[in-house]
Amino acid sequence: MTAPDLDGLRDRGLAAYAAADTLDALDAAKAELVGRRGDLTAVQRSLGDLEPEQRRSLGAQVNAVRAALAEAEAERRAALEAQRDRVVLAAEALDVTLPPRTPRRGSLHPIVETMEAMVDVLAGLGFTAVEGPEVESDWFNFQAMNIPADHPARGMHDTIYVEPLAPRDPPGSLVLRTHTSPMQTRTMLAKPPPVYIAVPGRVFRQEAADATHLPVFFQMECLAVDADLSFADLRGTLAELCRGLFGADTRIRMRPDYYPFTEPSADVDAWVPAVGDWVELLGSGMVHPNVLRMAGYDPEQVSGFAFGMGVERVAMLRHGIDDLRLFIDNDLRFLTAF
Amino acid sequence: MRVPLSWLSEYVACDLTAEQLAETLTLGGLVVEAIARPSGGTRGVVVARVERIEPVAGSDKLSLVEVDDGRDRHEIVCGARNFAVGDRVPAALPGAVLPGGVEIGRRTLRGVMSNGMLASARELGVGDDHSGIWVLGDDAPLGADLTRWLDLDDPVLELDLNPDRGYAQSIVGVARDVAALTGAALTLPDAPPLPASGDTGVPVDIEDPDRCPRFDGRRIRGVTVAPSPAWLRRRLAAAGVRPISNVVDATNHAMLEVGNPIHAYDVALLAGPAIVVRTARPGERLTTLDGVDRALDPDDLVIADAAGPVALAGVMGGQTSEIHPGTGDVFLETANFTARTVLRTARRHRLFTEGSKRWEKQVPPETVPLAAGRCAALIAQLAGGTVTAATDSYPQPTPRPVIRLRPDRARRRLGMALPDARQTALLRAIACDVAGDGDGAMAVTPPAYRPDLRIEEDLYEEIARLEGYGNVPERVPSSGQVGGRLPAHAARMRVRRALAGAGWTEVLPFPFFGREDLDRLGLPADDRRRAALTLVNPLSAEESLLHTTLLPGLLGVVRRNVNRQLDDVAVFCAAHTFLRPTDDEPGADGGPDGVTLPAEPLLLGFAATGDFEPARHDRPARRADVYDVLGAADTVRRALGLPPLAVEPTDAPPYHPGRAARLLCGDVAVGVVGELHPRVSAAFEVPARTLAGELRLDRLTADGVRPARPAAPSSLPPLRFDVAVVAAAAVPAATVAAAVRDGAGPQLTDLRLFDVFSGPQLGEGQRSLAYRLRLEDAGRAFTDADERAAIDRIDAAVRRVGGRLRR
Repeated sequence: MTAPDLDGLRDRGLAAYAAADTLDALDAAKAELVGRRGDLTAVQRSLGDLEPEQRRSLGAQVNAVRAALAEAEAERRAALEAQRDRVVLAAEALDVTLPPRTPRRGSLHPIVETMEAMVDVLAGLGFTAVEGPEVESDWFNFQAMNIPADHPARGMHDTIYVEPLAPRDPPGSLVLRTHTSPMQTRTMLAKPPPVYIAVPGRVFRQEAADATHLPVFFQMECLAVDADLSFADLRGTLAELCRGLFGADTRIRMRPDYYPFTEPSADVDAWVPAVGDWVELLGSGMVHPNVLRMAGYDPEQVSGFAFGMGVERVAMLRHGIDDLRLFIDNDLRFLTAF
Repeated sequence: MRVPLSWLSEYVACDLTAEQLAETLTLGGLVVEAIARPSGGTRGVVVARVERIEPVAGSDKLSLVEVDDGRDRHEIVCGARNFAVGDRVPAALPGAVLPGGVEIGRRTLRGVMSNGMLASARELGVGDDHSGIWVLGDDAPLGADLTRWLDLDDPVLELDLNPDRGYAQSIVGVARDVAALTGAALTLPDAPPLPASGDTGVPVDIEDPDRCPRFDGRRIRGVTVAPSPAWLRRRLAAAGVRPISNVVDATNHAMLEVGNPIHAYDVALLAGPAIVVRTARPGERLTTLDGVDRALDPDDLVIADAAGPVALAGVMGGQTSEIHPGTGDVFLETANFTARTVLRTARRHRLFTEGSKRWEKQVPPETVPLAAGRCAALIAQLAGGTVTAATDSYPQPTPRPVIRLRPDRARRRLGMALPDARQTALLRAIACDVAGDGDGAMAVTPPAYRPDLRIEEDLYEEIARLEGYGNVPERVPSSGQVGGRLPAHAARMRVRRALAGAGWTEVLPFPFFGREDLDRLGLPADDRRRAALTLVNPLSAEESLLHTTLLPGLLGVVRRNVNRQLDDVAVFCAAHTFLRPTDDEPGADGGPDGVTLPAEPLLLGFAATGDFEPARHDRPARRADVYDVLGAADTVRRALGLPPLAVEPTDAPPYHPGRAARLLCGDVAVGVVGELHPRVSAAFEVPARTLAGELRLDRLTADGVRPARPAAPSSLPPLRFDVAVVAAAAVPAATVAAAVRDGAGPQLTDLRLFDVFSGPQLGEGQRSLAYRLRLEDAGRAFTDADERAAIDRIDAAVRRVGGRLRR
């Protein structure tokens, strides 16, 4: 038998692979070469009839051709598959600029969230948040805060009164709390010093709503009573609180003020970077000795400071809102922006 | 309190600008709200004399006026005609500025050039008169700058005083603080010596010395009542008091100067003449100076003559004995009344005067002699009378307190390193008497003008204030405690976050409602929620009760948003509600008086209407239904780490009797959710099929968030299969699911209802519930026999509840 033209077979095969422009054509070309009836398969099959010497030499040549063809086929196959993927996947393309599928959006009220943000800062300063009743007795709301009946300061609290529940309770003995300060006394009566509490909650005043006043609003009261607290501790705590709420560049300024339940007392303005001006923020002071006494503490043994701030005021500054009534309107367009 | 700087500077030599002084005072405790300048920014308006007036052709209103300002003549077109040649008038020449920044230029009117304008008093911001050009009078110097000549550039500090700063309700009091805060020299006014005679001819009887501790009466004979001179009228007007006549103006001047209100009576009009300070008798009436006839209360303190009340003590005088142009003989009352007396009367009669405002902030009796002396001298000076007699009744002088000041304690309480000597110096600056008291303590006697200084802590405030609050250092205390939220509070926060993530928006309706809301809810007569607490003075008559349920408030939010064409609403709120206390649910401690407080259950409320999932390009809208509120409740319990809540159908109002569920956590009832009864939706004017619900958030969060304690997942293959249970439709799905769960046994890790089907092939009233189960066992692999055994057990279990498996 004549020696098969392996070089010609290889060149023909390589040309056929190169010419295949579809995967099907490539498969067909492959079948013609190395398939069951393929030309190279036929050569390989004929090797068995040869002398061992000749078989070895021709076998090596066949293997080399097979390897060359396999490599060329794989290369061509990869190219044709990539080409096919490009076409098929391109046809599967989606418009990724269509609206994303997100769960229905809810939101949290900015006032409650501001209040919780304030609790976060105060918690970091070692204060524990406690809450109390919204309907209070005159004693806790006023008398225990060193505001006896007939005290002029009662005129500053436009109190909403509640009809007493028990027949023996006198008229005026039940009020909607005008501040969250009653929790000062409630806490001190319940435990010995030291006390470090923050009291977030709803408070009430009999006044009409306008851009800067609400009849129902939220207040954050803070009380610290310990062995030797000072006005400087109050100032430092307030400065940290304001920096926590309004940024590291915030400064505070204290001015003398009057509250029946603190002495000395101070009004606090904060220089809020986002506003670029002094903003009146809160009232504060050293706990009045009468308040400590009424709560069963000895003002010679302990001292303390307290402050109370409107949550709405802080929310206004945080969110750049200039009309408080937006917070009580419960309009979903406003609320879902938060 | 309005403080004209020109007046203030009579007592304190301070070279600060108005703005600097305002800052100093504000930071020192006297809050300056504003600095007013009566000129309102007027510039360049001069006094000019009218030389010639002639009509403007083609106009019957306008005239051409030639004026002379002493240097030049100017032609000005003017619309008013209330002046004549020779009158002196304010001329705003080109370049002048009127209040509000209006600049005056040249302009042509009806073809005639007008070189500026002539101004009315109102145009200059110094009065209300706009009837014509302001004719100034012949003493106005030609060419003078009007604002300077009228002293209109004098800044006026407007103080908003705290209740403890009563002393600053006078120019002298403010001057004292300016001196103490700046170190400027202080010159206090003094009073001329008392006349020799103590017999005024008007006997004074103080029946109630507790409420009127001091009374100074002075007789001034031979006065001539006339208008005050210009300096006094200007000064009073700048201080915000209307000038009336020399005698009355003198009383107001002394009040503003020293702080003690004073009242002048015409002796000829006093019955007796005699004065009694007493409480009003039943049925007595008084026509006060404002012309109002008032029925007096037996608690009102009055000044009476022999015939009856002539003044409301400390508040306002009466008309009968008023000073009038013919008055010649004056009785001057300079008394002291206690703050509470005046406050009660002022509130009762809604009459808040310059006088009553001063008494409310406390005026010490020691102010009386100076005020009386200053006033009497000024009357004599202005009205020409003679102070013939004076009597001063002060039976029980207020003891001056001596306060023990421990300088070391002051340093510790203030956190300021203030040496003893510095503390002493600061207190002496406000006229305190400071003496050593041994033990390193000091005995401090505050001056009479500072009755607000009573305890040691009051002195700390003065020391800190005078040293400057700005010099208080910042120090952060170490609380030695871990701060944070109590477990229930932290749990509530988690619940709110979970709900917002699940599509619910938090709202904050007010906690009030009306009786009608209870009817709209259709609550039965004995429902606990009907026994709401009543507000004595509610914000609005329609909402005069404290809410016992969150639903009316939430439905109000729904209605309001739907009315604004925001149709898709899903809202929640967490709030206290208010119920009459019971043994099981008591209120908080009411304090030593034992006042009963209500129970305040903390509820979580929901309301939803419209689409819960809005329409999208790839999905139709899905209306909110009862499973959304049930889902909200489940979201809550998952956020809290609680096991699934038990769900029972309920027909409780205000819900649809077939579309509401009562929820239990173990055997604790935690709330009801459902679709509102159609009549309730209609009554609240919210869309039909509005959903709502209320959960006892206090009960759910009582233990805080329960940490999850999951079993380790099995690494062996799970057993997964489906079963379909056919049962009467009346058997609740929860009953069927419980049976399947029971049959599947403890290896069940997931049970999911994936199909509900009813049809004729199942039979009337039957339905099929198809579940997918996943069983896991960490110890061994499942076999086919395990699946057959589980299905057999499930079959047996569902038969016990009246169902069967579809095989």
